[in-house]
Amino acid sequence: MPTTSAVLRLIAMLIVATVLPSRAEDAISGRWVGTARVPDEELTVVVDLAQQNGAWVGSIIIPGLGVKGIPLTDIKVESPDVKFAVKGSLGIQMNLQLLPPPENKLAGNFEQAGNHAPATLQKTGPPQVEYPPRSTPVAKELEGEWKGDYEMLGNTRHVSIKFANHPGGATADFVIVGRKHNVLPVDLITQEGDLVTVESHDIGFTFEGRLREGNLTGAIRQGAIETPLVLLRAK
Amino acid sequence: MNISKIVVLLATLCAARAMDAQSMFRGDAIHAGTYAGPAPRQFHRVKWKFPTGDRVISSPVFKDNVIYFGGDDGNVYAVDAATGRQIWKRATNGPMPATPAVANGTVYIGSYDGKFYAFNAQTGALRWKFATNGERRFEAKGLHGMQPKDQTIADPFDIFLSSPVVANGAVYFGSGDGNLYALDSATGDLRWKFKTGDVVHASPALADGVLFFGSWDSYFYAVDASTGKEKWRFHGGEDPMIHNQVGFQSSPAVVNGTVYTGCRDSNLYALDAATGKEKWRFFNDLSWVITSPAVTDGKVFFATSDSSLYHVVDASTGKPIVHQQGKAFMFSSPAIVSDVVFIGVLNGTLEARDLKTGDLLWDFQVEKSKRNSGWVLTGDRKFNVPFLFHSNWREAPLVATDQQIGIGGIYSSPLVVNGVVYFGSADGFLYALE
Repeated sequence: MPTTSAVLRLIAMLIVATVLPSRAEDAISGRWVGTARVPDEELTVVVDLAQQNGAWVGSIIIPGLGVKGIPLTDIKVESPDVKFAVKGSLGIQMNLQLLPPPENKLAGNFEQAGNHAPATLQKTGPPQVEYPPRSTPVAKELEGEWKGDYEMLGNTRHVSIKFANHPGGATADFVIVGRKHNVLPVDLITQEGDLVTVESHDIGFTFEGRLREGNLTGAIRQGAIETPLVLLRAK
Repeated sequence: MNISKIVVLLATLCAARAMDAQSMFRGDAIHAGTYAGPAPRQFHRVKWKFPTGDRVISSPVFKDNVIYFGGDDGNVYAVDAATGRQIWKRATNGPMPATPAVANGTVYIGSYDGKFYAFNAQTGALRWKFATNGERRFEAKGLHGMQPKDQTIADPFDIFLSSPVVANGAVYFGSGDGNLYALDSATGDLRWKFKTGDVVHASPALADGVLFFGSWDSYFYAVDASTGKEKWRFHGGEDPMIHNQVGFQSSPAVVNGTVYTGCRDSNLYALDAATGKEKWRFFNDLSWVITSPAVTDGKVFFATSDSSLYHVVDASTGKPIVHQQGKAFMFSSPAIVSDVVFIGVLNGTLEARDLKTGDLLWDFQVEKSKRNSGWVLTGDRKFNVPFLFHSNWREAPLVATDQQIGIGGIYSSPLVVNGVVYFGSADGFLYALE
């Protein structure tokens, strides 16, 4: 029969076992600010990591590269190891380790496009994770396919946008046909008042327009280039 | 005279002609970009490297065992081809991303100070100088989509100055003031000038008494070399929106009655030299053709900027024969020597490719490129676009271009003499490889 002290020891161990992981998670959750030591340059990196409904979420800021609040993906936290990626054209992978107290630092490797640099981040406060905007539904009369043309460098581009509403917001098939048939990956569809916007961040294309006399009248933008575009209901 | 003496005499004459074909941009007046002599199919070592005070965009030329080139530090240099020791230097008041021409014991070259110079080839003493109406880069509002779009911005990729061609007692060159100039090569007196609508930084080629050159006004011109009268003009592409797909920056080659020229409208054109009529065009999917084409054995060799492709096409039809994917933009012009093609790449690498297949035989990367300051390059030596061109706002693209150049990019077109490859790098050195 176990003694009282043995029972108490077991209870204490169980408490430690349940508390330790959350302490490790607490240690990793937060805003981390530091640098990646790229040759001849110190790249400032700000990483926000937090737990949400038992899963890790995060975002990254790199002021020198025009990166603000891009979501982290493939976050893997197995204390003291912390790994995550930034997808898209930037293509970053960070493999870090939480250094033991009193360091309070994440240190490791910053990898981008086949280059590697040592990185050290210092915890500066609670996390301020940025969440990507979500697509809204679009008005019922916008659902379906719209078509129109615009001129670029003396060539005609044929545009097709097909809207559909779903429980999580609208989706759209965005196709531009010039010399090539381009299916644009759509990140975001929003309707604010009568203004509807379709964005493809990876390709850098945006369409915005308003429903006017049965047509979607607006403009298509690629970077700084904006061209008027009227989309008609496809027959 | 016995046969052996005749053979020796002919060989000497051929050698002398070959050497003359190394004393101006692209070799000689027709700018075919082909050079006589052996070509190294393997890289052995750096024979020497010559330091200057700034980027070397200029291409080296060779005359009487001396290498001549311009520096962006404002100096013209004469360097011993064998040892890399400086023979003389002469200062101008501006960068010289132009290639000199050497003829009649004189070195001719233009400078960003808006003057065109003639120096004694042996001593560097100034013979004369001529003031144009001033240099400037191509510029436009909203250039390449840069913001603010209503502000005029100078083109950071307008990197070369026009290189002169010397013939018939005259020296011909283009200028940022929009003119093509013809000066008396002995005195510097103006013979005539021909006005175009924009910057002329392409280098004129000369064949059968006609000068061929393009302007940033989107026209390509044929002008009588003795009178300066226009014979014909050809209209390239226009881009009124962002001025990205417009202008002739490439310099032409004229071979067998056909003019071959690249254009920023993404085409390589073949034009009838007599009429200006288009024979064919090779479209490069919105990627500029800045390189000046090289032409030999019925084939045209050229490369592209953004798509970084090395092409060989049939000279009479424009049909593709070979294409190879390069690592980075190419502004340097290919030099053909024996069975090897040499070309500089903006990632700081010189490439030697097999003439027939286009396969890479060897490459040489400058130290500054290896250091990869600020990760301008990816791990496999491509341009790291997210680290460079992440902003179109104000000077950001200009700063990015400077970073790109700072990696030691090879804009200079290689010259091969007696199996030694000479070229400049934006790292500030002139290299001799063997």
